[in-house]
Amino acid sequence: MTPTSDLDRVTMIVLRYMRRPLFALLFVYSVGIIGMALMPGRVVDGEATYMNLFHAFYFFTYTATTTGFGELPGGFSDEQRLWTIFCLYTGVIAWFYALGSLMRLFQNPHFTQALEEYRFARRVERTREPFIVLCGFGDTGSLLARGLSDHRSRAVILDSDPERIKALGVRDYAVAMPGLHADASKPKHLLAAGVEHPACRALVALTNDDDVNLKIAVMARHLNPRLRVICRSTSSRHEATLRTLDNVTVVDPFEIFAQLVCRAIARPELHNLNSWFVGARGVELGVPVQVPRGDWILCGYGRMGRWIHHHMQAQGIRVRIIDPEADTGDVGEGTTLIPAHADRETLEAAGIDDAAGIVAGTDHDSENLSTLLSVAELNPETFCIVRQNSHENQVAFDAARADLVLQHSLTAARRILKLLISPLVQELIDWLAEREPARTEALVDRLRAAVGEAPPHLWSVRLLPDEAPAVTEYLDRGGAIAVGALRLDARAFPEKLPCEPLAVRRAGQSIMLPDADHLLEAGDEILFCGIQWAEHMLQATLHNPYTLRYVVTGVDGPRGYVFTWLQGERETSAQRSH
Amino acid sequence: MNLERVVFGFFIILGLSLNYAFVAGGVGAPAHHNVWVLTLAIIINLVAIGLKLGDRSQTGALLLASGLVAGLLLITARIVWIVVEPDSGGAPGPRGMADIVSIATGALVANIVATVIVVGDTLLSRR
Repeated sequence: MTPTSDLDRVTMIVLRYMRRPLFALLFVYSVGIIGMALMPGRVVDGEATYMNLFHAFYFFTYTATTTGFGELPGGFSDEQRLWTIFCLYTGVIAWFYALGSLMRLFQNPHFTQALEEYRFARRVERTREPFIVLCGFGDTGSLLARGLSDHRSRAVILDSDPERIKALGVRDYAVAMPGLHADASKPKHLLAAGVEHPACRALVALTNDDDVNLKIAVMARHLNPRLRVICRSTSSRHEATLRTLDNVTVVDPFEIFAQLVCRAIARPELHNLNSWFVGARGVELGVPVQVPRGDWILCGYGRMGRWIHHHMQAQGIRVRIIDPEADTGDVGEGTTLIPAHADRETLEAAGIDDAAGIVAGTDHDSENLSTLLSVAELNPETFCIVRQNSHENQVAFDAARADLVLQHSLTAARRILKLLISPLVQELIDWLAEREPARTEALVDRLRAAVGEAPPHLWSVRLLPDEAPAVTEYLDRGGAIAVGALRLDARAFPEKLPCEPLAVRRAGQSIMLPDADHLLEAGDEILFCGIQWAEHMLQATLHNPYTLRYVVTGVDGPRGYVFTWLQGERETSAQRSH
Repeated sequence: MNLERVVFGFFIILGLSLNYAFVAGGVGAPAHHNVWVLTLAIIINLVAIGLKLGDRSQTGALLLASGLVAGLLLITARIVWIVVEPDSGGAPGPRGMADIVSIATGALVANIVATVIVVGDTLLSRR
C-alpha cells in the first residue's frame, strides 16, 4: 500500500463531504435552467420566443446567487416570471445548503487538524536550511528553541498540547520555527516533521513522558537510522533500552542538574568556566563562587535528590538528608536522614548551625523558597543552592537570597544546545573535570588574557576545501601548519588574535587544549573561543593563501608570476654562489 | 616593506597620473592632449597588468580586472587616434579628439578604482 499524503487526505475529505451538496446544486441548476429554456417568453410577431440555454444559465447564475440583475437579457413573460420565482427559492436554498456544509466542514476539528498537518508538512518539505526536530515544547523545549534561534539554527516543533503550539506562534524567533499540535510518537507526524528530510540534522525528544520519548527515539531510529537522536529520560529502565540504540544520546535532566550542583561545590573554577561558556547571567570569568567545605544538607530525596547524593558521595562530601518520604534503607550507611519536611525544627535537627551549605532541591518551588527563608534566619552564613522548577517563578528566585539558583529545565536545555551546536565544548568540560583544577585555572587565565571582559564567542572551523580552501591547499602541497600559527594576526604579525584554540577533533578523536605547535591535518575540526570579530579575521586567513603563508612562515611571499620568477632566479643564483 | 608592493604601487599610481595628464585640458582641444603621454600610459598599464598575473587573492583578482578595463579603454583611445588622424599629419580634429578624450576618461575611472583598492588594502592590512 502506498502511504497517503496529507494533501490526498484533505482533498478526499472535502470531496466526500461535499458530494451531497454538490449533487443538490447540480439538480436544482439543471431543473431551473431547462425549465427556463422551456417557458414561453414574450410574443414577437405572433410567435412566442424562447430563451436559449446559455441565456437561461446566465439568468440562473445571477438569480440563484441572489445577485439579481433584473430581467435580462430581455423583458420576461408571465410564465417566465412564475418560473423565476421557483428558481429563486430553490436556487437560494441549494446554495445555502452547500455553503452551510462547507462551513461545517471547516469547523470540524478533524478537518482543521488535517489541514494544519498538510500545511505544516509542506512548510517542512520546502525547508532547504538544516533544521532540528524538537518534540515537546515545555520549559526545556522552549528554552532550547530560544537558544537555537540565538544561533540562527532552525527547529521544527511538535507538541501534543495545542496551547503550547499557540504559545509558539507568538514567540519572536530570529528564524522560522514551524510548529504542529500532534502526538510526536506517531510515525506519521515524525515524517511530516521531516525526520527523513535531507536537511534534518537531529531529533530531540523532550516530552515530559519517558515512555513517549522512548517511543519517539525508537520510531525515529527506524525511520532514519543515520539521524542523530537526543532523548530526555529520567528512568534507568528506559535509559538502558536507549543506550542499546546507536546514535542516541540520553539526557537525564536530573543527572545533569546533580552533576552541575556537585561541580559547583567541588570544582568551582570549572563551574565558573562552564557558566561563562554557556553565557549565564552575571558570571565573570575567573571569579568562581567560593563554596565552603564541610557537611551539606540536602532537602528533597526524589529522583534528583538521589542523583545529587550519588554525585556528592563520589566527591567525598558528607550529606544529611531531609525528606518526609525517604526510607533509611534508601540513603545507605553513614548518611543522616530526617524523615520530615524541611522547616525550622528539622533544619536545626539536621545541624544547620555547622553545615557548610544546603541544597533546597524538592520539586516544589514554594517549599524550596520557604526553606531558603528558614535558612536565612537560622544560619545566614550557609551556602544556599536552590532548585528552581518552574520558569515562571524566575522573579521570585531572583529576589531570594541564594548563592546559586539552578533550574533543571535550563541546565538540560543548555546541555542539549551544547551537544547540538558545539559538542566539543562539553567534551572539553568533561575532560577538564577529570583533571587537576590547576589545568582549568591555567585555561581560564589564558582565556582572560585573550578575551578580556567581552562575552565569549565559540565557533568551530573545519579544514575542508570549501570552508578553509587556503589551508587544505597548503597542506596538500606538503606544508605544515601549527594550530598556533592560525591564530596569529596577519595585520600585526606576530601578535595573536583575541581567541584561543580549545580543542582539535580528528577522525573521531579529540585533542583537548592543543599546544601551539600542534600540527594540523586536512579534515580537522578546531574549536575556538574568542571575540566575535576574531572569527572574521580567522576566516580571512583560512581563505586567502597569501595571508595564510604569511602567518605560517612570517614571510610575505611574492604574488604575481613576475616576482615569483624573480625570487626563484635569485634563490638559484644564491645557491650557485655558495 | 615588501618590494612587490612598492613596484606594483609605483606602476599603478604612475598609470593613474599619466592617464590624468593625458585627459587634463579641454575635451575637444587637440592642443591640450599629447599622443606620447597616451602611449606611455598604455605601456605602464600593461606592465601593471603583467605584475598582477598569478595573484590568487580576491583583491588581486579585482586589481587585474580593473587593470584590464583601463588597458582596453586606453588602447581603444589610441586606435581611434590612428583612425581619425589626418593623412597629412598633425593632430586629429576637435570631434575626433573629443571621442579619444572621453574614452580615456573612462580608463581614468578604472585606474582610480585600482588605486583605491591598493591603498585601501594596504591600510587595512596595517603592516
